[in-house]
Amino acid sequence: MGINRVETGDAELVRRVRAGDIGAYGALVARYRDRLGRYAVHMIGDREDAEEALQDSFVRAYRSLERCYDPARFGAWLYGILVNRCRTTGARAARRRRLFVHDAEALNDASHPDAMERLEWTDAVERALARLAPEYREAFLLKHVEELEYEEIAELTGNGISALKMRVKRAREQLQKFLREAEHV
Amino acid sequence: MFEHDDDIVERMIRQLRRPVSMDPGLAARVMGEIAAPAHPGKKRRWAWLAAAAAVLGAVVIAHPWTRGSGTSTDAFQFVLVAPQAASVSLVGDFNDWDPARSPMQTAHGVWATVVPLAPGRYRYAFLVNGVEWRADPAAPNAIDDEFGTPSSVVTVAGRGS
Repeated sequence: MGINRVETGDAELVRRVRAGDIGAYGALVARYRDRLGRYAVHMIGDREDAEEALQDSFVRAYRSLERCYDPARFGAWLYGILVNRCRTTGARAARRRRLFVHDAEALNDASHPDAMERLEWTDAVERALARLAPEYREAFLLKHVEELEYEEIAELTGNGISALKMRVKRAREQLQKFLREAEHV
Repeated sequence: MFEHDDDIVERMIRQLRRPVSMDPGLAARVMGEIAAPAHPGKKRRWAWLAAAAAVLGAVVIAHPWTRGSGTSTDAFQFVLVAPQAASVSLVGDFNDWDPARSPMQTAHGVWATVVPLAPGRYRYAFLVNGVEWRADPAAPNAIDDEFGTPSSVVTVAGRGS
């Protein structure tokens, strides 16, 4: 009994935005902000650049919403825009040193041996990811972190499935190597 | 004791799958940007208006458009500076005074939302933390509020008027 909250689907929100309800777009932004943000942060390696790429992707998506032909799959369509945007950012920042800043709380906690070990592991993960070629990192993140199917990744990236499988395999091999090296430092 | 080679990558994947929280103000920035006019010449004109609005609170015309009904509407950005607030909603004649319909997004204590308004006169207020009604400090107060709560008034002129 009572009133149950029913979550509005993407298709309905897109329909409302197209009908002039700009506030409905805020609901779509809130829905996808953190999930797509995770991909951008890992792919670009810099939080500020990632937020800029994400913001720009949301704005581009809004401005070309008429070209979202399947509103029920708004999320997948938005992913495609972000993947492209991360590629441009990545190319621009390729020569920049990837620097990961941990929050102050984490650094304070690092006085404990366990916490220090966690921080070192986190650092090793981020550095290993940064050493991958962008096309390997992209395929690895979409497959294993965002848990997309190869068919979906192929659609988003425009690459063939066998090429993607090869990239993911190479990425895993290289990551093993980089993480092992970090263990021995 | 070393982990199996595959285990170390699986451990890395688990680490990377952890949720990442992005800046909550990102939504406000997106909404502000999509409401901004696309023409560079006009952008400069509205930039100072937005800056002035951010000083206290205000309603700023953001983006004109016309929808299927044939009625010309403009998008208006409402802004309130409330650094201590946990939530702010815009309520008014245009949304039946329903706080759920126009929640405001914050960027560093500046709360903003955009609503489309057709020509007319509207009363509105900000609902802070779900309980506190505030009139817009940068707009005229409404003097005909039958509920006795503070509210402001905005008048939208028709095109060409």
